[in-house]
Parts: sequence; structure tokens; C-alpha cells
Amino acid sequence: MKKASILLGSLLMLLSFSAFGQTSEKLVSSKTHMKFYSHTAVEDIEANNYASVSTINTETGEVVFSVPMQSFEFEKSQMQKHYNSDKFLDTKEYPKAKLKGKITNLSDVDFTKDGTYSVVVEGDLTIKGKTNAITENGTIDVKGKTVKVQSKFNINLADYGITFAKGKPSTNIAKEVEVTVHSEYSAE
Amino acid sequence: MMKKKLFKIAAITALAGLIIGGGAMLYMFNMPHRDIQSAKVDYSLTSTQIVSEYLSDKDAANEKYLAADGDSKVLEVTGIVSKISEDFNNQKVVLLKGNDDKAGVNAVFTAETNTKVLKLKVGETITVKGVIRSGASYDDDLELYENVILEKSDIVQK
Repeated sequence: MKKASILLGSLLMLLSFSAFGQTSEKLVSSKTHMKFYSHTAVEDIEANNYASVSTINTETGEVVFSVPMQSFEFEKSQMQKHYNSDKFLDTKEYPKAKLKGKITNLSDVDFTKDGTYSVVVEGDLTIKGKTNAITENGTIDVKGKTVKVQSKFNINLADYGITFAKGKPSTNIAKEVEVTVHSEYSAE
Repeated sequence: MMKKKLFKIAAITALAGLIIGGGAMLYMFNMPHRDIQSAKVDYSLTSTQIVSEYLSDKDAANEKYLAADGDSKVLEVTGIVSKISEDFNNQKVVLLKGNDDKAGVNAVFTAETNTKVLKLKVGETITVKGVIRSGASYDDDLELYENVILEKSDIVQK
């Protein structure tokens, strides 16, 4: 009887340890900034989003960003309407974009030690229901209990089925758009 | 003489057309964003109600609340303040979430309405008016429930 309770006790302890381990592996961020920037000779267009959610698994290196597409804000309201419409991002049909990747050089990052680490993230980016493989560079800043991620990369709009054959959009919107990502994490 | 008059009329008409057309285009181009706080409320509900609507049928809820041009529904949401934070744009974010709910409503305030949040306390029940940007759902990759996002928020006195 005593043996059994010791066994049960240690089993429970083990279980609680593993449960604890699982939550402390995951960093969560709802403090994020995402920016689209398009540059052409005619005009520069910018849109900002502060409402994405992101996680980093410090054990596996998995990185996820979930982006609410209607939260992108443009300076001009007409531009924002065009962006949301089914001719462009079709945000009613596809309300969220997602980046799901893995840090390929995870061993270079020490989440317990202050510092700035260069990382490579390999994975899939899904926008408007279309998924493409991407490999992008970024940095991870560790300072005490906060972890910050920064990255800047280009996406080709045609890869996501966003094309403009004629009219103003074809001259005023770049074929390649620069995306800037900034997020701040704390342990869950 | 007749020709000259005709020409004059044509010129005036063209000029008027140009001014009206150009003006309309300029207006369209510089049209301000919709003022959410003066817009009419489409739905009044609790944070628990909208979250359960989304968790039971996401597609139906998106169909009901999201607009194709991004001018989605204006909501008045009542709920318990469960967290107060700030985003990278220095906007206050108030999470309204029922104690037993899996997700809540993240109400994002603006530079103009931020100060209203200062006197809020976790645990009190408030009503917020804002525009919905996205719904609640469980995300398999994040392994988390995502909250409803309400932007351009302000507190409604009830």
C-alpha cells in the first residue's frame, strides 16, 4: 500500500513536471507590428497591423504568426477598401494570413542568455488561401524575460494570386512588397 | 458669330465637367476613414455571446460580421475586464472575457480614447463600442484560442 502511494506520488510529480515544462517552452506574443510597404515611381504605399498573435517554441524552434487581415490600416480609406476587396486580398473570405516555420539554426540561440541572435526561419506563408515555401532571415533579442523578434523580407504578390493587369493598381502597386515584422514575447 | 458662341458653350461645359469630375475624384481619393464612434451600432451583445457564436460556427459568424470592403460591423460589446495592455502603436488594449470562456474580445483603443482606459480596473464590467476586424477561433498551430479583435474602441456609458 505504501509502495503504491509512493509510486503514485512520484508519477503525479513527474506528470506535473512535464506539464510545467510544456508551458514554459512556449513564448506568446500579442504585442506585434507588421508593415507592408510598396514602392513605385508613382507612389509609396504603407499599411500597418498591430493585432497579430505569434508563438515561438524554444524547444523545437517552431515559429507561428497569425495575422488578422482586416486590421491592416492604410492612410487613405479608398486604398484600404480596395485592399480588402475580392479583387485584392479578399479579407472576408480569407480573414487571416499565417506564417508557420521553424528556426533552422536553433542551436545558435540561447533563450536564457541576453544577446542578439541571427536566425533563419524556413516554412510556409499562407496569404489569401495560397501557401508558398519561404526562407527568411531575422534576429532574436533576448533581454531578461523578454524576447523580441525582428525581420524584414519581400513577398511577390503574384505568388499569392494577387495580380493587376491594368489600371491604377498596375502602375501604383509594386510587384514585390516589403514586409517588416516586429514582435515581443513573454513566457506563457 | 454663331460658331463662336457654340464654341464658348462647349468650352464652359467641358470646364465645368472637368471641375466636377476632378473634384469628385479628389474627394474619393482623400475620403476620410469611417468614424466608428459616430456610426450606428449593428449589434449589441456580450463578449461571451460573440465568442460562442464564433466557436460554434466560424464561417457563419464571419459571414454575419465581416464586410468585403473591410468596413465590417460596428459592435457594442459588454464584458468583464480581464487584462489591460498596450500595443506597439501605443494603443491601450482591453481584453473582455468571461471567467469560463475559452476566448474573449480584445478591444483596441485609439490615441483619442486611450485615457478612458486609465481608470479601468480588472474585474469590472464595461461596454465598449468598436469595429470588428476578426473573430475568435482555436488555432492548431498556435495551440491557442485567438480572441475577437475590436478596433477604434471607446467606452460606452450605460
